[in-house]
Amino acid sequence: MKCVILAAGEGKRMHPLTFTRPKVMIPIANKPILEWNLINAIDAGIKEFIFIVSYKSEMVRNYFKNGKNWNVKIEYISQGEPLGTAHAIGTAEKFVDNFLVLSGDTIFGKQDIKKIVEKENSMGLYKIQNAEEYGIVKIKGNKIVKIFEKMQDPFSNDINAGIYHFNKKIFNYIKKTKKSLRGEYEITDSINMMAEDGAFEGIFLKEWRDVVYPWHLLDANEEILKKIDNKTEQTVEKNITIKGKVIVGKNTTIKSGSYLEGPVVIGDNCKIGPNCYIRPYTSIGNNCHIGNACEVKNSIILDNSNIPHQNYVGDSIIGQNCNLGAGSKVANLRLDKKNIWVIQNGNKINTRRRKLGIITGDNVQTGINSMINVGAILGDNCFIGPGAVVNGEIMPKSKIL
Amino acid sequence: MCGIIGYIGFRDAKEILVDSLKRLEYRGYDSAGIAIIDKKQQLFKDIGEIDEIKKNLPDFKGTIGIGHTRWATHGGVTKENAHPHLSSNKKIAVVHNGIIENFTKLRDNLKKKGYKFLSQTDTEVIAQLIEDNYTGNLEKAVFSALKKVEGYYAIVVTCTDEPDKIVGARKDSPLVIGVGDNENYLASDVTAFLKYTNRVVYLNDGELCIISNKEIRIFDEKNIPIERKENLIKWDLKDAEKSGFPHFMLKEIYDQPETVHHVIRGRISEIYRTIEFNEKVENLLKNGINSINIIACGTSYYAGLIGKYLVEKLTGIPVNVELSSEYRYFGTRNESSLVIAVTQSGETLDTLAALKEAKNSGCKTLVVTNVVGSTATRISDAYILTQSGPEIGVAATKTFTSQILVLFLLALKISIIKNKIGADELYKYILQLKELPRNVRQILNQSKKISGIASKLKNANSVFFIGRGLNYPLSLEGALKLKEISYIHAEGFAAGELKHGPFALLTKTTPVVVIVTKDSTYAKMIANIGEVKARGPQVIAIAEDSDTEIDKHADFVLPFPSNSGLLSCVPITVILQLLAYHVANLRECSIDKPRNLAKSVTVE
Repeated sequence: MKCVILAAGEGKRMHPLTFTRPKVMIPIANKPILEWNLINAIDAGIKEFIFIVSYKSEMVRNYFKNGKNWNVKIEYISQGEPLGTAHAIGTAEKFVDNFLVLSGDTIFGKQDIKKIVEKENSMGLYKIQNAEEYGIVKIKGNKIVKIFEKMQDPFSNDINAGIYHFNKKIFNYIKKTKKSLRGEYEITDSINMMAEDGAFEGIFLKEWRDVVYPWHLLDANEEILKKIDNKTEQTVEKNITIKGKVIVGKNTTIKSGSYLEGPVVIGDNCKIGPNCYIRPYTSIGNNCHIGNACEVKNSIILDNSNIPHQNYVGDSIIGQNCNLGAGSKVANLRLDKKNIWVIQNGNKINTRRRKLGIITGDNVQTGINSMINVGAILGDNCFIGPGAVVNGEIMPKSKIL
Repeated sequence: MCGIIGYIGFRDAKEILVDSLKRLEYRGYDSAGIAIIDKKQQLFKDIGEIDEIKKNLPDFKGTIGIGHTRWATHGGVTKENAHPHLSSNKKIAVVHNGIIENFTKLRDNLKKKGYKFLSQTDTEVIAQLIEDNYTGNLEKAVFSALKKVEGYYAIVVTCTDEPDKIVGARKDSPLVIGVGDNENYLASDVTAFLKYTNRVVYLNDGELCIISNKEIRIFDEKNIPIERKENLIKWDLKDAEKSGFPHFMLKEIYDQPETVHHVIRGRISEIYRTIEFNEKVENLLKNGINSINIIACGTSYYAGLIGKYLVEKLTGIPVNVELSSEYRYFGTRNESSLVIAVTQSGETLDTLAALKEAKNSGCKTLVVTNVVGSTATRISDAYILTQSGPEIGVAATKTFTSQILVLFLLALKISIIKNKIGADELYKYILQLKELPRNVRQILNQSKKISGIASKLKNANSVFFIGRGLNYPLSLEGALKLKEISYIHAEGFAAGELKHGPFALLTKTTPVVVIVTKDSTYAKMIANIGEVKARGPQVIAIAEDSDTEIDKHADFVLPFPSNSGLLSCVPITVILQLLAYHVANLRECSIDKPRNLAKSVTVE
């Protein structure tokens, strides 16, 4: 069976990380979200994939190529215009019979994928506490009655998980699907029509992790790191402490005096230490440098970035090719211990997190002793001058002096 | 400038083609059409807007097809002349951008063989010629057909016997391959398919390509296969119409090496050492001309002033240049004089009115315009097209240089008719013309430097431009460009006139742009620079690159190639355009749409 993965979205709610990459290419635990999806689907027995791509599709293509590295076959379809999920799935009509569809930005468990694969005309459901951000599903027994758009006061906690198993008939319904209120062709409208005409089954999933906003990446990162095994190919000097499970990549050197508390994953060709403290649930990409007297906690550091001298980074996401100046520090807790709000694309959003540091795009540089407050969002290619204090949302290419 | 699209893949070809044609709209067009293969060629074409054509479009099925937007240059704007064109057996469909120079000869031969023609276009000849060479393999047929063709082209061809491929070929006209997955595209520019893919393969001159939904093959002129790497387009759709340039004006300035080439191509014959225009123009010029009136407005008027210098120098015939709005009421009309109207759009109301006045008084009329089928081309005795393609920026750039060149070619033609020029001298000019695109490119390479000098002008309240001879109208044009897009007050003066008044306005803060060529007035110009410098302003000199003296006199020097002779006016113009553009850009002005101005002025 072929698996269609929807990977075309830009992910505006993932700014600033998606200014420079499509949402599915944001790494969690040093692998793009899409790769986790791919791996889980492969584990569930799928060998043929179709990625529906659009925004910065070359990054997806260059990373996954034809799938040879995973021993599977990957084909691509360009969606053209972002006209919605039904339109995206519709582009695959000539290439599939019975097929599985995964939202590329949601991570599913392999057992759950297996269950969906076994049942033609089915979709995944998930029970969630705060359901107002998702499509709500009305079910009768295990049959889908109707999928509703997201609503303020959801009547149920059963949400559409974003995984489907269709047969060819779905394309007839896709063709009949009209534009929704937000101006897109939604697959949920197609499914509603199909459910009216015949049986469409809902299957509850055990594992499900979707990432909408950047801070959700920290939760997903934590969840994945909890499952890792020890694996080190590194050069380790004397007087290093490693506790818990830590993965260290090729050619990475860990220098004397470093204290690593797993789970932590560190990529290839990194320089760690001397005398640094890396705390649980931290992912550090390739070619990074964590230097002397630096502390990194529950954070995602993308490739080629440096946290080199006397820095603190907690509950944060640092983009690619970033460099923190000596003494630059990040705040991650309000003194009144209240939830942290961020401003993203001009909207004020409650992250529901008590601890959140900063989120930076790629190529951000900070000057010495600059201080960045909780929940700050720095667009790509920002300059933060020496001693600056930064708050709120900073647009890409800004200079804060 | 026509737009071409070809699609082969899995999507509904109709949707892709219509959508792509819509994207190509900005290039300008008067008719459009598509041909989609579903066992047979399904053809639909019409004149008018894409949106209108779309409404009447039948529900063609199929996943392979070609489409075209036509901007007429040869043959009127009619449904029959619109592309695609089919061969006689209705199996082969062709869209084409360019001109086939030997098409009459080819058509006569094909007619003798029994081929029937439905249109006046040269494109239909290609379709028939491919059919004539077809022996079961489309690319072979296209290859053999193109061997017989003289001229320039980008073509895209499909054939119902081989519905799994599209063949494309180019010579001097653009064609680019869009690389997709299980689908591929061919188009005259990236804009057409950028929505679906940003991976492209560029075709070079003389190359032929065969695309299927899985594969792209490219062959060179000798039919040898070529491997070529994909390029990635970094700009997005909204920038695409400007080909990645921030403004249309800058794109159009950068179009000039090509548009300059377009004006000359087909009009100079190196072998016969002559200049060729169409029959009507030649007949008009052959009737003894004793005087010439050039009528025009705005930038076209300055092109006319330059034309005056060129025509008078090369032919000795006196030329009067008048503003259309003056000429129509006050101009003297002499039946024996030729009236040349210069208008980019062919719709400028003042010029049309002046043209009618001239015609009514029995003058012979000739129009130099960029738009075929425009009113001016219909009411005049003959017309010459500048073939610059649509110009979208309100400030005229590429159409100005093309107008100058048409007037230069006219001057050469008249001097040939009047026996005022020897074959060797003519040949020298022909070589200069051929060198021109390269000279313009040299100027474009200086853009950064010009931008640096623009920063000296950006805060000025007033800027003077001075020059003598040909450089006087260039000064006027330089001042016009600057004032219209940067809103800085600017005036052009004949350098000798400064002391008769304008000096009173000269202060330390009035930069002066001086255009200096090494002609008989060189010493006078150096003296003029001295006079200016004595009053304190900064002097920016535009001078020949072989001029080593000028550095001692001017504060900044912008060089242009010395070898351009009389045609130096073209590279100098490009410098002036870039200077105005960069000043306006530094001042963050609305460059493509300056306040209070319109592209084509159809009011009095």
